[in-house]
Amino acid sequence: MSVSNLLQNWSAVRHTHPVGDAPHAEYKWAMAIDLDACTGCNACSVACYAENNLPAVGKDKFEHGQQMHWMRIERYWDEDGRDMPDQGAQFLPMMCQHCEAAPCETVCPVGATNHTADGLNSQVYNRCVGSRYCSANCPFKVRYFNWYSYPDQEISWPSPMEQQLNPDVTVRTKGVMEKCTFCVQRLTVAKHNARNEGRLVQDGEVQTACQQACPTSAISFGNLVDPASKVAKQWKAQQVELAVDKQAKDEGDDSHEVGEHHSTTKLRGYRIFEELRAYPSVMYLERVRESAV
Amino acid sequence: MIENEFNRRDFLKVLGWGGAAVAVSGCGFTSVQDGVENVVSYVEANEYMIPGIGVYFNSTCAQCDAACGITGKVREGRVLKLEGNAASSINRGRLCGLGQAGVQAHYNPDRVTEPRTGKGEKLDWEKALGQVKEKLTGVSGDEIAFLTGNLSGHLKVLLGNYMDALGSKNHFVYDAVAPAVMRASNKKAYGNEMPALRLDKAKVIVSFGADFLGSWVSPVNFSQQYAQFRKGVNNGGRGVLVQIEPKMTLTGANADRWIPANPGTEGVLALGLINALGAAGVSIPSDIAASVSAYGVERVSKDTGVSAEQIQKLAAVLKERSPSLVIAGGGAEGYAHGSQNAAAVALLNQVLGNVGKTVEAPSVVPFPQLAPTAGGTAGLKAFNDGLAAGKFKVVFTLGANPVYSAPAFMKLADNLKKAAFKVALADAIDETAAQADLVLPLDSAMESWGTVVAEYQAGDAHIGIQQPLMERLYDNTRSAGDILLSLVKQQKADDYKAFEDYYAYLRGAVVQAKGSLGGAGMDDDEFWSTVLSSGMVKTGNASSSLRTSASAVTLPAAAVADAAFPLRLLPYVQPSMRDGRHANLPWLQESPDPLTTIVWDSWVEMHPKTAAKLGIVEGDIVEVTSKSGSIKAQAYIFPGIHPDAVSVPFGNGHTELGRYAKGVGANVFQMLDPVFDQETGELAINETHVKVSKTGKRVIVVKEEGAAGGSQAGKKIAGRLASNNVDLSKEV
Repeated sequence: MSVSNLLQNWSAVRHTHPVGDAPHAEYKWAMAIDLDACTGCNACSVACYAENNLPAVGKDKFEHGQQMHWMRIERYWDEDGRDMPDQGAQFLPMMCQHCEAAPCETVCPVGATNHTADGLNSQVYNRCVGSRYCSANCPFKVRYFNWYSYPDQEISWPSPMEQQLNPDVTVRTKGVMEKCTFCVQRLTVAKHNARNEGRLVQDGEVQTACQQACPTSAISFGNLVDPASKVAKQWKAQQVELAVDKQAKDEGDDSHEVGEHHSTTKLRGYRIFEELRAYPSVMYLERVRESAV
Repeated sequence: MIENEFNRRDFLKVLGWGGAAVAVSGCGFTSVQDGVENVVSYVEANEYMIPGIGVYFNSTCAQCDAACGITGKVREGRVLKLEGNAASSINRGRLCGLGQAGVQAHYNPDRVTEPRTGKGEKLDWEKALGQVKEKLTGVSGDEIAFLTGNLSGHLKVLLGNYMDALGSKNHFVYDAVAPAVMRASNKKAYGNEMPALRLDKAKVIVSFGADFLGSWVSPVNFSQQYAQFRKGVNNGGRGVLVQIEPKMTLTGANADRWIPANPGTEGVLALGLINALGAAGVSIPSDIAASVSAYGVERVSKDTGVSAEQIQKLAAVLKERSPSLVIAGGGAEGYAHGSQNAAAVALLNQVLGNVGKTVEAPSVVPFPQLAPTAGGTAGLKAFNDGLAAGKFKVVFTLGANPVYSAPAFMKLADNLKKAAFKVALADAIDETAAQADLVLPLDSAMESWGTVVAEYQAGDAHIGIQQPLMERLYDNTRSAGDILLSLVKQQKADDYKAFEDYYAYLRGAVVQAKGSLGGAGMDDDEFWSTVLSSGMVKTGNASSSLRTSASAVTLPAAAVADAAFPLRLLPYVQPSMRDGRHANLPWLQESPDPLTTIVWDSWVEMHPKTAAKLGIVEGDIVEVTSKSGSIKAQAYIFPGIHPDAVSVPFGNGHTELGRYAKGVGANVFQMLDPVFDQETGELAINETHVKVSKTGKRVIVVKEEGAAGGSQAGKKIAGRLASNNVDLSKEV
């Protein structure tokens, strides 16, 4: 897509998915993460390093906030002023939420980040000029910038570590933005295989690296268009809808504030920053805590 | 005895099937042709090798002793990524971060690639092994010692046979962070060192310092069971987890209730709960009821610092919801009275009637010769005592780095100098290899053949098969099996002449026993292919049982505090660093500690109250001093720790090992006090008392956590719900 083509067809390129006139056809990749199952162990994060050629940046660069973990675990404490966190910590795996109306996409001056037909927020590395507007505009802070050419950094892949690099994934160069892709290389293979056999990708046929590693199976991933997929069933059971900014769970709860939901429903599913109307493709299931002990 | 006579019993012993009924098939070892290794050329590749398409091989993870099954993705002859092997009953297709990082151990730039002398001169293998033979000449068996990590399978068999040939009985097994006290107390209480734990069947789990989600025994297996326990798959509803430990571990962070009882009072709390259960009407044998009568709620509350209300609530939940499961881990056993603590916890399990329900008789591999040796720090102490007495002339180390992880009071590095010839089998120049007179470079786990028997067997008992996932990166490394085979051939050439290399030995051993391993009726090649493609051999279970009778436990009086060292040091076994052997893997250094989110360093955790009292803020470099040593590290203010304690993680503070480990953080092993568990002789790692002082320097703590700390800044990011609002077992 040339820039002139992009500008001419701006409204089509900026088409926000999904809308009534152009719903997702075959695929809409989405995720559900059960925070009651997630233990915060970091297996997903390391699996992502292995799959997606993420560089280790070292202590100095980490100190400057230049770490490259597409999948990170956020750790929160209760904020009720107790001396001891006696209900434990809260862990939250955070990665690109693949928003349907992604705030990062609208601000990219060169259209390097945009939506794919199967509902991914894609990042075109060789179109990116490194303005970093997308990162500034991302409410989830899940975009990572290549401040250095990591293959040339002695710390990242000194010989023979470069032999571990996944040939299916680009090694990014200095000056481009990168982020979680929902393991698009795996999706591509699965879609090609399915197309060769004249069918659609079946649920469970493709897993993201984080999902595959997760020791507690807290992450499910699949095609939201396919009503038989686990992720679609989970979204449906939790009454979370993709193109809605107020879910059933939020009825009577306008606070959007920290702490236990005021909701009287028995639903656990929610999306982060729903009120920003980014329409994320990741549903989280609230952590549950027992008060009897 | 006639020379070269084929003696069946010796032959079985050579191959590791001794002591068990094995159906051995008749034919000998006619060919080792299968073991010939060639670089695959694209011109004439195997038909399954297609450039651009990944091929998957099953093997066994060697990153810790849990022995999860792994599947390695191999492309164009290189291993790229490890996944869990779905057929393994231990990890069922899942893999932790430590396991994932196995490829970085393989491709590590700091591997040692050639045999070398202590001065760093390179040797060829013939000369290196010749040196070993020469140095062993004229040395009696008593003067030869081996210090190894936990070993199992045919490597253990070969080592045993080598030691027999040398006439040495000095095999010391050392694991710096082993659950060794628990093994002994389980043996006493249940008649079995490692019973199967059914977390998934429990309605309540009360864990006294067992970090089963992080670093304890078999974390991936326990994590899967934990997920089922939470979902209410096999226990009728969402299970409740209570974690009792003064330093919050990953498991504590996931508990419904984390209870920071005073350090060392876990046994008191367990007996107090038994007493409270008795008072609430649970039937308890009269001798046990009498033995806990002194542990009234008031007294227990005073000793443990846990409120009486909390104790009553916990007892009520345990009474109401059965079966439960009570576990004792490192947090409870690292004391001079660690065995008694563990015994009190086991007694609570028995009183609750959990034995046989959530504590089950384990699956056991029916080949005792292959069973894992399970070591602890008692092995290190015995080894060190021998060195100190000058008893050992030739010393071998394998899978152990005592110069790094032995406490300074042992003076191990000095004692090691008394041994005239030290051989280190090592994959990198760690602190111990740096002192060796001969370093024999090991293949990585991705280049080696091997058999591994997990100490904790989940589901059907099996032997894990380790197979090379790619060609050696370096021509002059060898697997530990090959090295031991060469060494044992120096002593008993005839017994092993049929085996050109360890591969031939291993294949021969497994194929010979195919009748007992589910391969009856298959020909050798077919059976061997089946074994390799599944990455494991199911062995069937040997019978095992648990004892259910309980006996009373007595606890010692609480120790008096030392005013000069007012705080207790609770070292933390960090899930990805463990005992420090993986410190040179950059993925793990850059993987934030789940609780503090700190990377690439050590830290001193202290409660906000304690920090305020001492005038310490985050990032202050503090000196932590015990009677036996001191370290300096950055302070991190952490709410999940008892105010009378500080915690420092194990694993960093290396002076050798490699570019990612050297000079990073501080080594807390060094400063531990010489206190041992009185029953087992294990080092009591929680018995070090310290004082903390500021050095005046301050740094920025490098961590994942942002400026808002652990706060959600008023936004609903990580949501939470009370359990009575939801029924998880009805969810998708």
